[in-house]
Amino acid sequence: MSMETPFGLRQYPVTKFCMVTTAAIPIVASIANCKYIFLTRYEPFISEYQQYYRLALFELGATNESDVLLLMLIWYQFRHLERIMGSYKYISVISLIYLYTSVILTTLYIGLNVLLSQTIWNSLPQGSLPVVMAMLHFYKEFTPKIYDFKIVVKNPLSSSKDKRANFECHLDDQFFVLSLIFALLLNQGYVGISCGFLCWLIGVFIDKGIFVGFHNWRLPFIKHWLSDENNLTRETGIASSSGPNINTYINNVREGSNNLQEMEGHDYDEENQDDEPARPLGVQFLDAFRR
Amino acid sequence: MEIDGNTLIFIIIILFLFFSSPGGDGVSSQYEYNQLQTLKSIYQNEFDTFKNLTSTTNFRNITGLKLSYEDVQGNPDLNATYPLKGKVYDHWFTNQTFQLLPDEVMNMINTDIWNLPYNSKNLFPPNITSTVMGSIKLHSNNKYEKINMPVPRFYEPPKDFSDNTPPWGETYVTEWPSYGELHNVTFDSGELNIQISHIDKVTRQINSNKKYKFNKEDENWKLLSLKIDFFDKAENEKHSINSLAIYDIRRGRILSMTQSAKFHSIFALPHYLNFENNDENNNDTELIFNESKQLLIDYWNASNYIDTLTMGNLEGAYDNAYFKCEFMTFLQLEPWNQYTKEQLKLVNEELNWPLGRPANLSVVPPVKITKGLLYSPDCGVLLNMENVKGPRYELKLRTIRTHLLAGVVLIATEIYLLLRQMQHTNTPSSVNKISFYCFSMMNLVDGSLATLYFIASSVIPELYLPLVISAFASFILASIFETRYLISIYASQINEQYVGVLTLLRGSTAENDEERPVVIPDEASISSSLYGRFFFMLIIFTFLILSSTSWPRQIRMIFEYSAIFILNSYWIPQIFRNAVKGIPSRRRRRRDSNTVMTRRQNKTPLLWKFIIGTTIIRALPVIYVFTYSSNVFRHHKDVRFAVLLSLWLLFQITMLYTQDILGSRWFLPRHAIPEGYSYFKAISSQHLMEHGQTSEVNTVDCSICMSEIPVYVEELPETHKVDQHSYMVTPCNHIFHTSCLENWMSYKLQCPVCRAPLPPL
Repeated sequence: MSMETPFGLRQYPVTKFCMVTTAAIPIVASIANCKYIFLTRYEPFISEYQQYYRLALFELGATNESDVLLLMLIWYQFRHLERIMGSYKYISVISLIYLYTSVILTTLYIGLNVLLSQTIWNSLPQGSLPVVMAMLHFYKEFTPKIYDFKIVVKNPLSSSKDKRANFECHLDDQFFVLSLIFALLLNQGYVGISCGFLCWLIGVFIDKGIFVGFHNWRLPFIKHWLSDENNLTRETGIASSSGPNINTYINNVREGSNNLQEMEGHDYDEENQDDEPARPLGVQFLDAFRR
Repeated sequence: MEIDGNTLIFIIIILFLFFSSPGGDGVSSQYEYNQLQTLKSIYQNEFDTFKNLTSTTNFRNITGLKLSYEDVQGNPDLNATYPLKGKVYDHWFTNQTFQLLPDEVMNMINTDIWNLPYNSKNLFPPNITSTVMGSIKLHSNNKYEKINMPVPRFYEPPKDFSDNTPPWGETYVTEWPSYGELHNVTFDSGELNIQISHIDKVTRQINSNKKYKFNKEDENWKLLSLKIDFFDKAENEKHSINSLAIYDIRRGRILSMTQSAKFHSIFALPHYLNFENNDENNNDTELIFNESKQLLIDYWNASNYIDTLTMGNLEGAYDNAYFKCEFMTFLQLEPWNQYTKEQLKLVNEELNWPLGRPANLSVVPPVKITKGLLYSPDCGVLLNMENVKGPRYELKLRTIRTHLLAGVVLIATEIYLLLRQMQHTNTPSSVNKISFYCFSMMNLVDGSLATLYFIASSVIPELYLPLVISAFASFILASIFETRYLISIYASQINEQYVGVLTLLRGSTAENDEERPVVIPDEASISSSLYGRFFFMLIIFTFLILSSTSWPRQIRMIFEYSAIFILNSYWIPQIFRNAVKGIPSRRRRRRDSNTVMTRRQNKTPLLWKFIIGTTIIRALPVIYVFTYSSNVFRHHKDVRFAVLLSLWLLFQITMLYTQDILGSRWFLPRHAIPEGYSYFKAISSQHLMEHGQTSEVNTVDCSICMSEIPVYVEELPETHKVDQHSYMVTPCNHIFHTSCLENWMSYKLQCPVCRAPLPPL
């Protein structure tokens, strides 16, 4: 596996899909003036109007513009996960998490409100926050730290020998993702923080096997579409989901092995790349002008 | 720029002009100040009188209300003075002794218009923001006496600059000015639009945006602003009224009266809300009077009515007094009894702030005025309304939004089709066969659509997003893709610019002696000139469309029909172009298509997918507007025109199809079609000599691939084995390999040696 991340999103079809839908769904909804369908409030939508479709939709679109932006950035940062798992497994895991989080969240949501016979938990988070929070566990688990750094801020009033007066801050390369997540949680208030924590736990349970399906669940029908993409991505160094290296890699990371060279795919050869890369959509449009 | 004394003075004068314009109340002279103060003091006095009014006392010294109908009936020239001798001011009864209305009209209102009994069973919508439309019928325009309403003279503009005090007294106008609206209604039946909007919040200062609520009885009373327009079918006589109105939600009644310099109707509203005289309802009468009076007082105080008066108001009131009749409007709403009060509230909230509440908005009934009456006391005109209704404003916006989104889908499809078409014709030879005017017509339509969408987006803020998306989509289509395609069409046809159609028909350039420019402008200069032309046409056409909306109906219809017809004839130029370029029939193309090259050269210029798709996309909106009677644009229904237009389009497509099947010149007589230029021909030995070759070799050098070409020389039988199709002779007598020159010609239609224009293959 190469340390260099491939440039652009061409080799991350699932990441691209997630980012595009994160932005496109709210835009289309606001053009059609139906953004409110992503709003979930127990009082009055569920309890009074019985609009259960909202429970199926709340994870699909974020209505707040800053949420949309943060989610897009987080999906972009999570592209390393797609690289590690391979596109097919990545989308399968995302769909698994989507199912688990929406089922568990809505069950708890309705259950708590019905059992306590008063609305203590009124709203659900918006957008893919639950999925992102569960994916965060996998991100922390599987993505190696590449570097870390220390920020030392000197206290101007104390003498230089007094080391305790200095403010030190240890950060690693993942701190950007974490601060984005932090902002996302804060942005949605108490609901964001509590549901975010819950969904992170769901991620942990899925990984530990308490919630089954991480190794076996695969989405039907779309394998062909994604493996076509994989043929392209394999050449540039992304592990394919069909190959055995994902499990080896995951095990290696767990055992703390840094031997990345071991796993470098034998079928990966940078020299043999196709001379003419596939043309992106933009170029294809512009080709209409060429002659 | 050098700043000298003159420039500085110029700048100072400009700045002075900018900043010295009267702000606030618009007063710019002592005279105007006095005018405004007079108006304010009159209003203040009248308001004090109004505050003391009860349901049983008459108006006293209020402008326009000094006379009643009976005062005038015997004595039409009676002057409106206060106090009038013998007039009773301490009582108020609903008869013509006290009212501006004749007894007959009052009875009509009582029995025909406001005849719904007040009970809690009838439920009326609290919010009726909408534009309702219907028809209006003249009841009478000469039966009733005209009540004198003098115009105070202090409204008059100053006579000279030294004039500081406005004149006193009042003018009794007998000769109304011949411009402005007619002081009568002369048509028997016409059309009516009423734009109803609510006044829920008011500003307290002249130039402030902060608005305050004032209505304490919001459940039962609403203050409305009505904009009533009525006109005859031919739109020769138009009347337009802006007025304040009171809406009694419990009874579904709307009363509005126009206000001007001669009629201060705001103080008269409470007295005219009820015409029932019997004693049982006396309580009711008093209640209606007091509540509506309180509403007006609240409005008066909250809006600082006197302090927010401006010179604009004063001049507007003066103009209205002179140019228009005063009108009193009595409307009865249809109750929405299918709803309960809670459901009504839910529907209202959902319309105001959509959250997906279970209010089925698709069955919300229209705002309907069952009966209505317009009476003008000073012109003595009585009009009846019929079948006046319209959807709630928010529902209207919803339908418009869906229509806009459907339009965006159409435009996106058109972009896709155009891209396919551009890929289909990606060489100058194939682009050359496409008509420039065909695409410029489409371009004009799409461009003006983009501009109109863009203008609309700033006019209707509620639809900003869908309108901007539509504007963006059509702008992309028009100014990026279509203009780009036009540029390449233009560039490929620039050779023919100075050539007559007959020569073009012949396809030859060899024989003519016309002067032609050798230097062909490059695409940059073409594109700049085309873009300039495009935007110029766009602006002209958009202004034409916008101004056409205010033309009289007759002229507007002629313009609209002819513009639609002409702009939907976009395939006609292409049919001519095909005939000029002479595309062989399909069978011949099949026969000739043994080589790849000739197949590519002989293909039809336009994709059938593009032709059919474009026709459907462009015809759909027009057909929708002309055949669907309740369309969003309020366009009249004219199925005959829609059918005619479809037939005309079908005819054009059929012509294109026959040209495809039978060859593009089938309708031309045979002798009119001369031979085209042929690149494949034998050459003479003299020609060969000119190429510097000795007669032994019989070859020429191809200046593209620098290798030899064996040629067919007429005089030398030994060269007659050479295939004439293996080389090409240009009109400028240069010789190349067929494949070499064809390759080159897909880039440029210029001779590679001498830059002379080449006729396309």
